[in-house]
Amino acid sequence: MKDRQLAWRNLWRNRKRTLITAASVFFAVFFALVMRSFQLGTYDKMYSDVIQSYSGYLQLQNPAYLDEPTLDNGFTADPDLVSRIEQDPNVEAVVPRMESFALAAAGNRTQGVMVIGMDPGNDNKALNIRNRMVRFKLTPMAVEALKSENLPGRLSKNLDLFTGEAFTDTDDLVTILGISERDSSAILPLVRKHASFPGEYLMGGETGFAVIGNGLSDYLGTVPGDTLVLMGQGWHGTSAAGLYVIRGVVNMPNPELDNRFVCLTLDDARLLYGAPGMVTSSIIGIRDASEKELAATQARLSAITGKELSVRNWKEMNALLLNQMEADNRSGAIMIGILYLVIAFGVFGTVLMMMAERRREFGMLVSIGMRKGRLAAMVGLEMLLMGVIGIIAGVIASLPIVFLGHAKPLRFTGEMARMYEDYGFDPVMPTLLPDTFYLWQVVVVLLILAVAIAFSVRKIFKLNVINALRA
Amino acid sequence: MKVVEINDVYKTYHDTEVEVRAVSGVTLGFEKGDFAVIVGPSGSGKTTLLNLIGGLDQPTAGEILVAGHRLSELKPSELIDFRMEHVGFVFQSYNLIPVLTAAENVGFIMSLQKWPKEKRIARTGELLDAVGLSDRHNSRPSQLSGGQQQRVAVARALAPRPEFILADEPTANLDSKSAETLLDIMEKLNREEEMTFIFSTHDVRVMKRARRVITLEDGKVVSDVRTNHTS
Ligand SMILES: Nc1ncnc2c1ncn2[C@@H]1O[C@H](COP(=O)(O)OP(=O)(O)OP(=O)(O)O)[C@@H](O)[C@H]1O
Ligand SMILES: [Mg+2]
Repeated sequence: MKDRQLAWRNLWRNRKRTLITAASVFFAVFFALVMRSFQLGTYDKMYSDVIQSYSGYLQLQNPAYLDEPTLDNGFTADPDLVSRIEQDPNVEAVVPRMESFALAAAGNRTQGVMVIGMDPGNDNKALNIRNRMVRFKLTPMAVEALKSENLPGRLSKNLDLFTGEAFTDTDDLVTILGISERDSSAILPLVRKHASFPGEYLMGGETGFAVIGNGLSDYLGTVPGDTLVLMGQGWHGTSAAGLYVIRGVVNMPNPELDNRFVCLTLDDARLLYGAPGMVTSSIIGIRDASEKELAATQARLSAITGKELSVRNWKEMNALLLNQMEADNRSGAIMIGILYLVIAFGVFGTVLMMMAERRREFGMLVSIGMRKGRLAAMVGLEMLLMGVIGIIAGVIASLPIVFLGHAKPLRFTGEMARMYEDYGFDPVMPTLLPDTFYLWQVVVVLLILAVAIAFSVRKIFKLNVINALRA
Repeated sequence: MKVVEINDVYKTYHDTEVEVRAVSGVTLGFEKGDFAVIVGPSGSGKTTLLNLIGGLDQPTAGEILVAGHRLSELKPSELIDFRMEHVGFVFQSYNLIPVLTAAENVGFIMSLQKWPKEKRIARTGELLDAVGLSDRHNSRPSQLSGGQQQRVAVARALAPRPEFILADEPTANLDSKSAETLLDIMEKLNREEEMTFIFSTHDVRVMKRARRVITLEDGKVVSDVRTNHTS
């Protein structure tokens, strides 16, 4: 009889208790992993959304611009410097941008907006706004028309739920509306017929056009082809005003941005603000965005720009968002901490009970010649097995949810969605695929087990055989 | 040949304010093949004396020699090995490892001693036969009666051929028929294997079967009688 066989049998001699303890470990691991995955996945999405649709990974700025992002803190890019930056192996392109505020009006509605002037020629080397064009929109009219066709019942319900929603491509639409593979060939033509949304992205060389956020478009009640009036303050206090034809609508991931986004060509923006040749920031498109390479690139570029201009990374530029997520992260960590505290007590309860129950048996074993070290190893193994069963089961059970949540992110509708949007978040919760956070959860549970094992090992070494036998 | 020598041994407990002299100046020797019983009123020090002989506890004063080992010279871990190699224990109850079968329990100490598997299995079979449990190899302790469990415990204690077997009130929890059977078996093994048995008891039936009766009172030996009967 090997000690590990003995440990295995001991594990099952109180089957219910072992199962309950393993189950408590299982649930803690499972919930912690799933919760963490949703949390980290949501942060990850928010970061990548803001990076891809607005800030980029690195920007070239006037040093004063970070604290006071106004036109007056813009700069004129030295083509020589730009070309030197572009020679960096990790730099794809430097995309100049002009960004400021204005009041937008269409019909009888107005809204304060953020105007971004960017060359449509190479903007996709840094951001991917171009891919966010709204191609389909479930306007009330489109929903009515679709419902008059012969659709499966579930789809009609989903149409109601997602009325007003805009989509950039059919893939999006199919997943969100829950159209099955089988139905899609029949339904997609109908969607194209009734819910297509017109519009194009800006083109270089053209003047007098704008692309606006979907939220802004809804608020102003415009469709592509309508006219947008922009009014504001230009460079050094000049007044700025212009008329633009809305060419298309983009679906920005961050509702805050979506409700205020107006994009012009760089030349139009310079003209509007009376600042020829100026930029407020240049987005530096990079190839490898891993944390390490990003820091190295930033350092290399900072050496090129010297004191005159600074190279900012996305974390510096999105400090507010980062802070917000940091705070949220902390509250999540506390939740998980409480979860672990609960299982720590559960595991400890089991250990205490088990040690008390088996005191006599341990006394007998040591009496007849089993060394305490060997006994402790056996008992430790029992507890480790119990914990590991829970951990493995928890990890395995979490995987389908985490992978599914990544492939088909959870999307809130109705009230929930509005609440999220009010906070400025996209009402989508993707999961983060297993990563080091998985390892950490497992390590924490193993540490709890280690403490429980250390406790029982100590108990065994301090066991007084005579007293144990008298018990 | 002396198996155990006890020279002027004292054991004092200081647990509470009062000092308890559980064993007080005992000098005794046990020969190979002894079938000896220690009797005396409750609290007279029977268990304490057996624990001292078995190396479960150390005397406050005096000396105990077992198979040439001076027990006071052994470190705690050496004492555990000493017990494994030289002493067989049978307790009043809870003797067996609940998750092991009768055969595995009998083989347990032999496997601690790393006996080769075939020898272990052969010896286990032989002993389960001897204690009349040849048909219960695969029964768990919970499936055995109290008397059967004690018989398995005797077989386990005997299996690795220790110097002697210590049994503290082995029949206390048994009905008289089971007690008689257990005693028959111990006597037979004492004869056939020349195994030395030292046990304590309150049980008159047990006393009558012993060939040597040692009486303790207040931790002292008040009589040591050899009855020459053979059963
Ligand atoms: N571990 C201990 N701590 C303190 N006192 C003890 C301890 N073990 C035994 N004693 C005391 O030593 C004395 C002898 O006890 P022991 O158990 O040896 O008696 P016994 O003859 O075996 O009694 P019984 O017939 O009831 O089993 C008693 O007074 C007991 O209270
Ligand atoms: Mg006693």
